[in-house]
Amino acid sequence: MELQLGLALPSNPSKGFDLNYFASEPKEIAVSNRSFTVASSCTDINDINDNNKKRSFDQTFENPTDSTVPRTLPLLLWNHHPNEEDDPKDLENHSLVTFNDKKDGDNGDGLVGWPPIRSRWKNKRLCHENNGAVGLENGFACGIRGSNSTYVKVKMEGVPIARKIDLSLHHSFQTLTETLMDMFGQWWLETGQKDSNQYKLAYQDREGDWLFTEDVSWRTFSRSVQRIKLLKSSR
Amino acid sequence: MPRMGYSFPEEVLEHVFSFIQSDEDRNAISEVCRSWHDIERWSRRRVFVGNCYAISPTMVIRRFPEVRSVKLKGKPHFADFNLVPEGWGGYVAPWISAMASAYPWLEEIRLKRMVITDESLELISKSFKNFKVLVLSSCEGFSTDGLAAIAANCRNLRELDLGESEVEDLSGHWLSRFPDNYTSMVSLNIACLGWEVSFSALERLVGRCPNLRTLRLNRAVPLDKLANLLCRAPQLVELGTGAYSSELRPDVFSNLSGAFSGCKELKSLSGFWDVVPGYLPAVYPICSKLKSLNLSYATIQSPELIKLVSQCQNLQRLWVLDYIEDAGLDALAASCKDLRELRVFPSDPFGQEPNVPLTEQGLVSVSEGCPKLQSVLYFCRQMSNAALMTIARNRPNMTRFRLCIIEPHTPDYLTLQPLDVGFGAIVEHCKDLRRLSLSGLLTDRVFEYIGTHAKKLEMLSVAFAGESDLGLHHILSGCDNLRKLEIRDCPFGDKALLANAAKLETMRSLWMSSCSVSFGACKLLGQKMPGLNVEVIDERGPPDLRPESCPIDKLYVYRTVSGPRFDMPGFVWTMAENPALRLS
Repeated sequence: MELQLGLALPSNPSKGFDLNYFASEPKEIAVSNRSFTVASSCTDINDINDNNKKRSFDQTFENPTDSTVPRTLPLLLWNHHPNEEDDPKDLENHSLVTFNDKKDGDNGDGLVGWPPIRSRWKNKRLCHENNGAVGLENGFACGIRGSNSTYVKVKMEGVPIARKIDLSLHHSFQTLTETLMDMFGQWWLETGQKDSNQYKLAYQDREGDWLFTEDVSWRTFSRSVQRIKLLKSSR
Repeated sequence: MPRMGYSFPEEVLEHVFSFIQSDEDRNAISEVCRSWHDIERWSRRRVFVGNCYAISPTMVIRRFPEVRSVKLKGKPHFADFNLVPEGWGGYVAPWISAMASAYPWLEEIRLKRMVITDESLELISKSFKNFKVLVLSSCEGFSTDGLAAIAANCRNLRELDLGESEVEDLSGHWLSRFPDNYTSMVSLNIACLGWEVSFSALERLVGRCPNLRTLRLNRAVPLDKLANLLCRAPQLVELGTGAYSSELRPDVFSNLSGAFSGCKELKSLSGFWDVVPGYLPAVYPICSKLKSLNLSYATIQSPELIKLVSQCQNLQRLWVLDYIEDAGLDALAASCKDLRELRVFPSDPFGQEPNVPLTEQGLVSVSEGCPKLQSVLYFCRQMSNAALMTIARNRPNMTRFRLCIIEPHTPDYLTLQPLDVGFGAIVEHCKDLRRLSLSGLLTDRVFEYIGTHAKKLEMLSVAFAGESDLGLHHILSGCDNLRKLEIRDCPFGDKALLANAAKLETMRSLWMSSCSVSFGACKLLGQKMPGLNVEVIDERGPPDLRPESCPIDKLYVYRTVSGPRFDMPGFVWTMAENPALRLS
């Protein structure tokens, strides 16, 4: 029983309100031709998306200024745009990302979210079948926190929303900091600060201690980081 | 004729209204006249917002200033299956901050599929002096630190239910933050926690809360500690065990069995991770009283399941893995005549071949043997139109029917025909059907049946089905009570969507992913329908860098009175009248 939104709702809404009138292209023929071909391309898109999902999200944030080369996937059945090249780097990285992509990687035909069972539930059960005991490593499901995952949570002081970042994509504090600046970019716009010098990077290691990244090498950091925080420099 | 409105003082009307709990009735009351509207809004104590982006917290607070209980839902249902990318939204923080100042007497917060942070949990724990109920169902974004704040500060807490949330486990000591003089827990559900909680704190907590009725433990609580807990809480009505495995030892077994026997009120059981079958008989003493049994984590085979289930004559709800097999479902149909709800989950969802003898026959048996069966969720690998028609005729009282044939596009295995007529029979016979999920090979015909017959349908889930826009058109133009429609991997394009644009304002939301909806159509929809947020979700990059006719990846359309939201991540665009708002 929902909150009434106070909308004056027409009783027979679909009659006489056809936005196809405004649509510019003649869709009649296009649809029936498209229905078969696009159904297949849908599956292809799924295959690609399944492997590339998280990667393209991070890519979007890593190169916000690089809008001239759209990071689109090769839409295999769309021949209108020969300018979109297959980026060989994208294809290589599929294998990297499937390793990280615990949630979706189990199904043979690469369909995301199918069958429709909750991944957390699935992981908990599979953990038992694979290992036969509680508490062995299989990521979060069996009680070992993120031992195989390279995704780390990042929080910025004063920002209620935490994000996640894939550490395997970084090899230095510089790229990491740049990525984080972009990730929280929206908040900077609102608070009016965009100076990375105003923030210090801190992280929590395996022992639970909080350390500043400026005190350690990248190697030490990347091997033991569990969580990251961006703290205001005045501390 | 005297005008009735004058004769009753407000207090009397308010007293009368206090007996009206349902939102629908209260909404009706508020439309009678101005003064009833005012009295009603000051006396409304519960608010349910089915889509947190449909309205702003300010608007809710302005209309209902004295609310004590709030329920909010965030992400669309398909987020459960990883179809909604991380970071999409559903942040509860703005609601919590607004309510912290506006509703000092708030008692209950229930969230589903929302992102809640430790800061928000802390704010809750400090802002609401009489806070009693926190339910976080499939939520994320918080850690055990947030739970520690709740434990430490909420003196009147009665219910803490973490549902199936993802909690960052930093320490099991949060449970110790409940003060020693805290005794009011009634319901505690920590089943989703991956790490151990401090067991001694748990034991002491359970021991000092005499009103504890529901206790759902997490997997990390070992079986040999369960008896102890049960002895401290023999009044329990609902129990979720931890791991149900241990070396078979007679003393452990007899303690456990004795403890279960002592729980005379127990009506619901769940948990059962890692079951060692030798310990199952420990629960036999209480089986006959059980109304609800959740064995969806229990990897036990059919013979043990049959032994267990055959003793539960009063069972109303069973959730189980397909290890139960057709034979087990036959036994269920024979023993559990009061069964209302059945869910059968796949033990090997990604295997190509069936790993257990569970077919459509099991479901048919249950539909024959259980006259009160009204809610079904069934995963299987084969189905026939004949079986569906039998089920439909057996159970016209069905209200929720969700069938998942694991392989997409699977036809009737007997005739190799699509399953249109089978599902058609379901919607034709089950006139009160409110929720339906389709699967298998389906043409546009099934949608014609649904549009024609499923007049009470409120939620429909469609995957890998249909042939053309006609299918979608049948749904949108025929299902009068449709509130939620979620579609994936169907060849539905622009035509049906645009032709039925106004219908979308009568629904809570529409989700379409991996379909053929073009960017141009989304823009048009957003421009022409100011009462809708039309969100294009596409991790490939900005849709306006591709041609307008290009299909978008995911579409989420929902009605709203508060306009486009401002917390969208980089891969979500709202199509709006003002083009500047389109770019995030």
